[in-house]
Amino acid sequence: MTNPSAPDNSAANNPAPTNWQSDAMQRRIAKRYSAEKRFKFMGYFAIGLSVLFLAFLLFTMVGKGFDGFRQTQIALNVDLPALSAGANADSLRGPNANATLQSMDLPGIVNMAAMRDYGNDAMSYLSANASVTLRNQLLDNPDMITQKSKIWLPAASPVDIAYKGKGSAEMEKAVARLAKDGNIKSSFNWNFLSASDATDPADVGIWGALKGSLLTLIVTLSMAFPVGVLAALYLEEYAPKNKFTDLIEVSINNLAAVPSIIFGLLGLVVFLTWFGMPRSSSLVGGLTLALMTMPVIVIAGRNAIKSVPPSIREAAMGIGASPVQVVFHHVLPLALPGILTGTIIGMARALGETAPLLMIGMVAFISSPPGGFTDAATALPVQIFLWSDEVNRGFVEKTSAAIIILLIFLLGMNALAIYLRNKFETRW
Amino acid sequence: MAGTALLFLILGLGLIAWITGRTRAAMFVRDGASKQRGYVNSLPSYHGWYLALWAVIPAVAFLVIWDFVSPGLVTNMVLASPAAASLPEGDFGRAAILSEARAIAQGLQQSAFQPQSEALVPAYKEALAHFRWIGFAVTLALFSVGALFAYSRLKPDLRARTKVERLVMAALLVASLIATITTIGIFASLIFETVRFFQMVSPIEFLFGTSWSPRATIGEGYDNGYGAIPLFWGTIFVGAVIAMVVAIPLGLMSAIFLTQYASPKLRSWMKPVLEILAGVPTVVYGYFAALTVAPAVRDFAVMIGFSNAASDNALAAGLVMGIMIIPLISSMADDSIAAVPSAMRDGSLAMGATKSETIKKVLLPAALPGVVGGILLAVSRAIGETMIVVMAAGYTANLTANPFASISTITVQIKALLTGDINFNGPQVLAAFALGLTLFLITFLLNIIALRVVKKYREAYD
Repeated sequence: MTNPSAPDNSAANNPAPTNWQSDAMQRRIAKRYSAEKRFKFMGYFAIGLSVLFLAFLLFTMVGKGFDGFRQTQIALNVDLPALSAGANADSLRGPNANATLQSMDLPGIVNMAAMRDYGNDAMSYLSANASVTLRNQLLDNPDMITQKSKIWLPAASPVDIAYKGKGSAEMEKAVARLAKDGNIKSSFNWNFLSASDATDPADVGIWGALKGSLLTLIVTLSMAFPVGVLAALYLEEYAPKNKFTDLIEVSINNLAAVPSIIFGLLGLVVFLTWFGMPRSSSLVGGLTLALMTMPVIVIAGRNAIKSVPPSIREAAMGIGASPVQVVFHHVLPLALPGILTGTIIGMARALGETAPLLMIGMVAFISSPPGGFTDAATALPVQIFLWSDEVNRGFVEKTSAAIIILLIFLLGMNALAIYLRNKFETRW
Repeated sequence: MAGTALLFLILGLGLIAWITGRTRAAMFVRDGASKQRGYVNSLPSYHGWYLALWAVIPAVAFLVIWDFVSPGLVTNMVLASPAAASLPEGDFGRAAILSEARAIAQGLQQSAFQPQSEALVPAYKEALAHFRWIGFAVTLALFSVGALFAYSRLKPDLRARTKVERLVMAALLVASLIATITTIGIFASLIFETVRFFQMVSPIEFLFGTSWSPRATIGEGYDNGYGAIPLFWGTIFVGAVIAMVVAIPLGLMSAIFLTQYASPKLRSWMKPVLEILAGVPTVVYGYFAALTVAPAVRDFAVMIGFSNAASDNALAAGLVMGIMIIPLISSMADDSIAAVPSAMRDGSLAMGATKSETIKKVLLPAALPGVVGGILLAVSRAIGETMIVVMAAGYTANLTANPFASISTITVQIKALLTGDINFNGPQVLAAFALGLTLFLITFLLNIIALRVVKKYREAYD
């Protein structure tokens, strides 16, 4: 311990204490403090930049997507009694309503009315879906057929964009003409929430994609949750410490970090080629995402199980419970909120995942919502990807609007997870 | 659908078996038989489970196997029938007719396109009904045999709990094996296709060739456009260089700020913001990069004199990817800084060091292994990222270090080769699997090293 080393010698050679008031020392301290300030500022800058970016991203998406929720409609004066081809309100109420409507040639009626009201170009003003809207209105309110009436029908995409102020000069002029007489208006786009993909951006909706996502997530949850929880229980409560357990742990930790596109390749080879499951179906998509989500649930589950204090296990064991009873009657219920939080976060990740679904063919143009797990389906993020690729400018606002819907779902799920965590978190 | 109905029937019967077993065991408790021995070994519900599992598991196992086996048996029976005598020999036409006849017989399709399949429909209907009855009968028989066997063994001293729990343990083990099976499955499926690819294109061309424009037909020599070096470079350039230049300083400084400077209140607000940033789907980042960032970057490049800047440039993809990675690096660095014993920090502060000096000279060096592990994980995440590069970077593979040029990555090419019309035996599709295997091996290696580093370091301070 007695080491006659440098500090002792230097202290002996230089007995005068440091003069803290000297200029050199003051300068040094000032320099150190300004370095401190700079460093702190860099911290503010870094975190500020992240916040700013998030705000900018959300702002851009909401700004661009807001218009996607608005639908432009054009008024048509339709002389239904003259064009009804003998149909009357009663026949529209009866069982033959569909046949009656078929014989009325609604697309023809719409086109004629448009040309009479607004000139020869006007056929292209109305969306291809306009006659379907008219048909639904007639079915809802058959008495409409007895009188000449002004009917609001959805506009085609070029008119829609022009009315929102981003269209071509020619269309802007047409819109101005319509607007002068109050024959154009914009309302909330219910069609966007209830329809599926279409070729005309004015007619597209996200319900088909949303339903595909929901079906996919149901499959994912029903596979990944039980397997993930059981695996977490095994690894945390029963697994002996040996090479075999290490192998399982390494593969779980590694799977959690494997790129998602690799799971898509696995799904393509194993589920589609080897097992011959239906391509593009939400069943295959769900299974693929389940393999991806399962490690997330296992890791979250293990942390939740680890935080249950050993005294609970010992008490249960002490009154004669078997190891399985200890875990299933006591540890699992206490760990469940934590496991659920991890599961919701894993499901949110699965909901936003795109790449693996591209690999298994969920990228097709699908114009009707899937009826079941084996039907060809698409998913919300894939729909966003598909629309983002479209050349038609009308798709820009629809893509952003779909992104808003997706973000609302994700934020909702994450908020639920945080709520669960705060409500049920127990400090032992 | 008949299989599903049968499954629900079996499960319903299983519930009845459970109730029966439980009731029987409850009777033991009241019975003289149990008083004689003094106790019943297991709780009544375990007897119920014992009976139900014995009844249901063999039946369901048979159902699953039957589901795979019976289509083949049905086809064989149809082929043996006289109606099938006139079928064409060719494999392809024959399969089409058979599948159409089957679809009509099952009611999935209304009418036939091929006249021959119409003739096979009655034979198919008969065969389907035949084997459906066999399946039904065997399933129920297995159920009854299992149930009767288990019922005959229900006694007060039956160790029902031990037996049921043994099965539970087996289920737990199987569940935890699924992760390992998945890893093996990924590896096997990729290897399998990659070997087929290397039978067509030499591995040397793939690993060392410098031109990537895959052709559908393979000629002699080394110029088929399967040289993946430009892709490897593009992947590293976007994921490991540009993205990391953005993400490492910002992520690290965010973590330092949040752990060392921020007040608890600010911290409780900023943490969720970073979590949201991490939770934004990559397709949204990709759309943002393509729509907003890429045009801005191109305009900037033209302004500073790169007149040939591409609109799908590497810089836009890399920048947005870097921002996506910030939360990952930040949270890993946060953990490892928090794990440094506070005695080290307090010691440094007590010696008169300022906060920033303590952080730079004491905390960061001590936390370095964890930070490095986090960065490795971030690199692995960035090079495997697909949607941002698919939407914002290009499809043409250039071997260039110009960040304003169009650059392609491994994941972009996998996506490009595997979507659209694909011929499963062509070299283009198989090349995607070779790229996938490369990507898997690189990320696997990075993950293993990262996890090792982080783990070793954690043990050092525990």
